[in-house]
Parts: sequence; structure tokens; C-alpha cells
Amino acid sequence: MASGSSEVEEEEQERMMLRDRPEWADVTPVPQDDGPCPVVPINYTEEFAEVMDYFRAVYLADERSPRALSLTAEAIHFNAGNYTVWHFRRLLLESLKVDLHDELEFIERIAAKNSKNYQIWHHRRRVAEKLGPDARNAELQFTKKVLSVDAKHYHAWSHRQWVLQALGGWEDELDYCSQLLEQDIFNNSAWNQRYFVITRSPFLGGLKAMRESEVLYTIKAIEAYPENESSWKYLRGLYKGETTSWVNEPQVSSICLKILSSKSNYLFALSTLLDLICHGYQPNQDFRDAIEALKIPDLDTQDLDIASMICSILEKIDPIRVNYWIWRKSRLPQVA
Amino acid sequence: MDSTEESSPKSELSNTIMDMDLHNTFAELMFHLLPSPYESQEINHLTLAYFVISSLDILNSLNRVEKDAIVDWVLSFQLHPGTKTDPNNGQFYGFHGSRTSQFPPDDNGVLLHNHSYLASTYCALAILKIVGYDLSNVDSELMLASMRNLQQPDGSFMAIHIGGETDLRFVYCAAAICFMLDNWSGMDKEKAKDYILNCQSYDGGFGLVPGAESHGGATYCAIASLRLMGFIEDNLLSSCASSLIDVPLLLDWIVQGMDGGFQGRTNKTTDTCYAFWLGAVLKILGADDFVDIKALRRFLLTCQYKYGGFSKFPGEFPDLYHSYYGFAAFSLLKESGLKSLCSELGITETAAKGL
Repeated sequence: MASGSSEVEEEEQERMMLRDRPEWADVTPVPQDDGPCPVVPINYTEEFAEVMDYFRAVYLADERSPRALSLTAEAIHFNAGNYTVWHFRRLLLESLKVDLHDELEFIERIAAKNSKNYQIWHHRRRVAEKLGPDARNAELQFTKKVLSVDAKHYHAWSHRQWVLQALGGWEDELDYCSQLLEQDIFNNSAWNQRYFVITRSPFLGGLKAMRESEVLYTIKAIEAYPENESSWKYLRGLYKGETTSWVNEPQVSSICLKILSSKSNYLFALSTLLDLICHGYQPNQDFRDAIEALKIPDLDTQDLDIASMICSILEKIDPIRVNYWIWRKSRLPQVA
Repeated sequence: MDSTEESSPKSELSNTIMDMDLHNTFAELMFHLLPSPYESQEINHLTLAYFVISSLDILNSLNRVEKDAIVDWVLSFQLHPGTKTDPNNGQFYGFHGSRTSQFPPDDNGVLLHNHSYLASTYCALAILKIVGYDLSNVDSELMLASMRNLQQPDGSFMAIHIGGETDLRFVYCAAAICFMLDNWSGMDKEKAKDYILNCQSYDGGFGLVPGAESHGGATYCAIASLRLMGFIEDNLLSSCASSLIDVPLLLDWIVQGMDGGFQGRTNKTTDTCYAFWLGAVLKILGADDFVDIKALRRFLLTCQYKYGGFSKFPGEFPDLYHSYYGFAAFSLLKESGLKSLCSELGITETAAKGL
């Protein structure tokens, strides 16, 4: 049976009060007990108060019926976060042996208006858990749909990560990340998901095994949009736990040099070079030349070591973070 | 951004100063009656109350409200078990968040419906501290003993024993509850710490669960929890050597997110509330000097509503959540007239100290 869908549709036309519906005539609603001196009271609408009064009645009576199920849908409509209602709904789904595929559809319908609500996503997970591996494709499809509207939707990504870990479906995930990054290379959620896949997919061999191909991928992304913070952070992330490898990797230092030499969007190239130096990298004269070629005005760089020079430049060209760059300069390793 | 007068509540006058009178009016109005649209968040009634009451405290206007009435009301949400309750029955005996989740015991005094909630418990205790109530008067033994039932094998906390999300938000709530009650028997700190560390992403920020994208709110929960549990020393910045978290990477992630206001995630728009979430983290780490105060003030004031309160983005209508975090952010900026905050507890310092 449709789990409350007809009730939701009624809502959109003209909602009839429960007290006027003959099928509810035998129920005495239970009013809310706000106590003697309610503080920070809410100006409840009549409709809200009534739905919750009827919900209280069926909940206290533990009535496991189709009308109770419909009622939970209405209550959810008024307050999608109400975990008591969701809990009771789950009990009802069980008792009434509702086809959980219908429930997935129900969730999809209400998620359209309430997609940033934790309880909806939690409920979705509980239902998917019950359905098991069979739910996998539906869940990947559903999250894809949500992400097609908002490619950075935190709940959708969270749910998608859970699905992959609990139900599988890793095979196409890296490609999916690539697609999203093609649409928007600045999508940090997609970069994060990429990291998630390469580190956890049982099919890919782990971070070390994936590093080479991922470095190539990331360098290309950096070349295309050097002002993209996500790709620089991802590059560093590929060497998580192995800073020495990051420092010694020629592709890392050379992409910094390349961007610096282009004299365009070089802010992250500079800060990455600074980080490399702080971890022991020793830049050659090419770097110094490239930095001097930037011709930053009002900068006396004659006697400065390269790291101090970078900090001074960043103080000037990245003024919103000036205090941070001053602090970085103060923490530079001592130069001979 | 739409700039026509009819469709956007653009503030004409108050772009240069934080208008205390307007905000006081806003907070007081909210205290006396939350408008109907807030009924959709009714399940979090105690949280809404926390936003209002803590706002009044930050604005130094707590004298305008009835503290005794607040105490009675908050305590009425506490779950009191029957006489033969076993703390190991798997349930949590904390505070309910709202009347819609609170059900009386049956005629035999048996409690059939326990929906006490971790976040509401934090808010309840926070409100009690704000109004100066001595928490040693709270019946907390069973609360703490049963709170362990909510802690998961991986160290995270579930929000409610009937089943709910498990993520950093509830680790924070648990840590804050233990801290306020000065009693750590409610949680396994080591396990919680391990969970938090697993949430640090490759870019230095923290996600809400392991593997999730770095997020400002999650990062606050992580760092504030570690601080409350005693795992972050004072003035971490001078040593910058935490054995637990990659501090330089974290600092860089936060600082790169400064764009007038703070971004909640890399390459996303700045939003008022992150001025608190991330501003507070910088303060806890001893790095609040990194904030460009002028730029932040300027951004926050573009979110100031002409009739009081703050919105999420410039030019939108205010809501209680962003108003509260707007006040909190201004407090961190040491705005005159505002009380100072205890960053890790989310209440003023005077409330935290119990003065």
C-alpha cells in the first residue's frame, strides 16, 4: 500500500483537519502538556497542534494501523526532524509489513522539500539496511539524483559513503568522481570522495598503489586551474603519512615552479613551496629566479632566504591572511 | 543577489555597527514567543531555547528574564526513571528535547517511552549553567552511567538509544555534558579521542564521520571535544606539536577558508555561523590572531538584519540559529557590550565558571 502518499497529496490541495475526518472520529486527541510555566513558547498553528495531539493518542495507544502510518507522514510533514514520530513509523512499517521499496519512494518524495534533515537520511539508511545488498543500486541512484541538484550535498555524500561501505558498488565510483570534477573542478566534495575511493575501495589496492595515477590526474587539474585549493590539498593528501615522499617527489616541486613561472594564479604554488621548504625541501636557483621574476612591488628580497621571501610576498598579496603569514615566517626553520 | 526592496530585506542603516538595541529586542521577542515557522523545529525546542537564552546572556540582557521559571521549565524535561531502573538496560536517562517526545509513565509508574536525547541534555545543562543553577543539584548519577550506553565501539556517540545518527556532534555533546557535570564516568575518553582523530581528513579539517569532507561545524566539535577532555594543552600554537592532530595542516585549512567571513568547506560560500565554529577553534588553539577582524566584522554586518538578528548570507531574513552564532562571533571579536565566551562550551565565561 502507498505509505501515506495520498495524505501528502491531500496536503497540497486543501488539508482537512483531522477532527473533520470521519475515519478519525473514534480517537480522542491528547493535548500537549506544556507544564505550568512554559518558557520560550512556540506559536503553534492549529494544524500542527492538532496533528501532534492525534499522534500522541495513537502513540500512547500503540495503535499499529494503516491510519497511524498515514498520520506519521502528516506529522513528518510538519516537523521532519521529529525522531519520536520516525521511530514509531519504523515500528509501524514492521508491524504492517509494508513493502520497503514503497518506503524508499516515500522518503524520496519528502526529501525533495527537506533534504537537509538528518532524520530523513537516518530513516533512509535504516530502510536500506533492512533491504540489504538489493538496495545498493537504488541508494546509489538516489544519492546521484540529489547530487545532480546539489553536487556538494553533505548528507547525500555521507549516505553514499555509507552505501559503498555497507552494500558495495565501488566499481564505478572513481569514474563518477571524475565526471563530477569535469563538471566542476572546484567541487571539494568530489575531491574528498575521490580520496575516499582510492583509500578504501577493495578493488583499487589502496593509497600507495593509486598514488602515481592520482598524482598525474591532480597535476593536470592544477595546471588547468592553479587557483583551485582543492587540487593542491588533494596532492598533499596523496602523501598522507609520508611527508618525505611528498617533499622528494619531483612532480610536486616542479608543478610549483611551473605555476610560479606562469606568473598567474600562483598563490597556492607559493604556499605549497613554503610548506615543502618547511619540511626540508631545498629549492634550487630556478625557484629563486621565478619568484624574483614575479616582480612584487615594494619588496626588498636581497638578503632574504627564499622561505622568508615567500612569506613576505604572501603577506603582501594575500593580505586577509597577513597575520598567519607573519606567524609562518616566525616559525621558519633557521637558515644557515 | 536580488537587491530590490520588496524581495530582499537589505539593511540600509546598520552596516557599520553592531546594533545592540535591535538585537536585544530580537532576542527578547524570541524569548517571549517563537514565531510559528519554528514549529517545524519543535523537536529541538530545548535547543531553540538555548539559542535564545545564551543570546540574551551574550548580549548581557539576562536580567530581563525570569531565571527561576527557566530552571523549572528545563528540569521538567529531565527523565526520571522508575525506582527499579537498571542503568545497564541499554537506555539513556537524560533530558527530552521537547514535549512532543516526552511521554509520562503509565498508571503503574512504568516508563514505556524514553526518548531522552543527547543534544537536548547538553542544551538543558548549558541553559541551567547560564542562569546560574548549581548543577550539583541535578540528579546526574544515572544520567552519566546510562550515557555510556550511547557510546559505540568505535568511540562515537549515538544521539538516542532507540537508534539515531552517530557522529562528531554527539561526541561533543557527551564531552560537554561530562565537563559541565565534572564527571567523566559518562564516557570512555580514549575511545572518543580515537574516533575524533579518525575524522581528521587529508586536508587537515575534520569531517562529521571518518571519511567525510572537512567541515567547519565538525571541526569545532572535534577540537572543542579534545579540549574539554584535556587532550589539547593551552597555547598549542607556540609548541604547534600535538602528538594527536596535525595542527599545522588544520590551521592552514581553517585560515585558507577565511574570505571575509569563514567558509564552512573548501570552495563553498561564507556563512555567518562559521565565524563562530571556526573562530572558536582558532581561539582554542591560541590562533585567533590570524583572523582579519575588520574583514570579518564587515562580512558579519552585511548579514545583520535591520530589525535585529543575523542571517546565513547577506540580504536574507534572520533566523535564530544564525543570529545566535552571529552574537557568538561578535563576542569572539571582543565587541564592546558583549560578554566573553567560553569557546569550548558554547556559553559565556561567567556561565561556565558558575559566577
